[in-house]
Amino acid sequence: MYQTSDIKKGLKIEMDGKPWTVTEFQFVKPGKGCAFTRTKLKNLLSGNVIDRTFKTGEKLEEADVENATMQFLYKDHEAFHCMDTDTYEQVGIPAKAIGKQSDYLVEEMEVEVLFYKGAPVSIEVPNFVELEITYCEPGIKGNTATGSVKPATMSTGATVNVPLFVENGTWIKIDTRTGAYVERVRR
Amino acid sequence: MNADGLRKRALVLRAVRTWFADHGYLEVPTPSLVPSPAMEEHLYALAADDGWLRTSPEFSLKCVMAAGLGRIYEIGPCWRAREQGPWHGTEFLMLEWYRAGAELVNLMDEVKSLVQVAFEAVGRPAPTPWRRTTVRDLFIEHTGIDLRTASAVDLSSQDDDWDEAFFRRWITEVEPKLQGSTIVEDWPASQAALAQIRDDQPWPVAKRFEVYIDGIELANAFFELIDTQAQSQLFDAANKARLLMGETPHPVDYELIAAVGKMPRTSGIAMGLDRLVAAACGWPSIDPGRVRRTSRRLPPEPAR
Repeated sequence: MYQTSDIKKGLKIEMDGKPWTVTEFQFVKPGKGCAFTRTKLKNLLSGNVIDRTFKTGEKLEEADVENATMQFLYKDHEAFHCMDTDTYEQVGIPAKAIGKQSDYLVEEMEVEVLFYKGAPVSIEVPNFVELEITYCEPGIKGNTATGSVKPATMSTGATVNVPLFVENGTWIKIDTRTGAYVERVRR
Repeated sequence: MNADGLRKRALVLRAVRTWFADHGYLEVPTPSLVPSPAMEEHLYALAADDGWLRTSPEFSLKCVMAAGLGRIYEIGPCWRAREQGPWHGTEFLMLEWYRAGAELVNLMDEVKSLVQVAFEAVGRPAPTPWRRTTVRDLFIEHTGIDLRTASAVDLSSQDDDWDEAFFRRWITEVEPKLQGSTIVEDWPASQAALAQIRDDQPWPVAKRFEVYIDGIELANAFFELIDTQAQSQLFDAANKARLLMGETPHPVDYELIAAVGKMPRTSGIAMGLDRLVAAACGWPSIDPGRVRRTSRRLPPEPAR
């Protein structure tokens, strides 16, 4: 069991039969009232975010979750398959639990697999990934005007807005949290 | 350490002290180490030596008021355990002032003037106009609930008593909406603390008000209780509540109880000075104005 004073970013709790992680929190205490901790909680299965306020003294249940660093192998209709590179054990994460993350998954990439009650439930890709552009309009040399962008299709099928000077076939770095282009990279 | 923040805090402090001098207030420093740290059950104090670190200078300043001084104020450190966050620190700077013969409306005028002076000290305009409203009206406005008839269950789906349910809704749905400068009156009688109760309203409310600037609670004002018996009963009730929560009761401050009976009609107000500085400077927390110390070992200085 956790106390409200244990609440911090990344704390994983069990509530209403689901696992949640704390994404934001703030201590609030009215001068003449009891103390609370306001939180934003992300559902680890669905990704839904809710607001929840805990009263000081409330007990929070620990979520039975574990992280493992694994290598992404391949996907099929039902699942995304990953392997533990030490034990060679393979697990399949249900495809419907992956969502937007699949935009950034390339074979042999190292990912964090989340296990809930022993079962693999989701994948977390690194904050930054490098992907190859498989299609975009030809680059306009020297056009470094900020704000002007064009859509580019990645090897994974994802679409990322890139600056006008970027050429087809270029490798770029992407921030997976926002889906934003960061910079060109040499490969 | 934020040098600019500390300079701005000094400007506000100087302006505040000048304001009090100009308005006939006497600065009275009272002890930080006290025999009883607080009455209210939601305040947690730090024990020190054979006494306590004060959670507010209220008890001491009331003893001074009972001695016949008409207008007094104090700026000094106070300590509240288990309170840390962007707007809370275990140690913080409190400003309290007491004025004999004053009604709450007099203190409202003083607050407006003082806030104006604090903002001017750092070269920013204070948010105006001021809005004056009641807790009940704000609840109807932001939640659609009438506090006069609402039960704890109407207010919250959690395991809360009425006051807890009230505050859960207050901090999530009402307080964040209080943009600009707001004076909020007529708090539920169950949250009277050391204020008198008003019985001329449709529901029992305390004669006190709170001051908010852009959603931040800045000050609490009271038409002070001057009934020794009621004061004594409040102390007992708060200590009973403490025992129920598994906490240690606080010593009863008998000197305060005697002083309350000798006080004239008085209005008093407590303002978080770190918050006043942060509001005046437009900061997102009280941190830029504070000096923080750590017991952590520091990394070695790079070789020169």
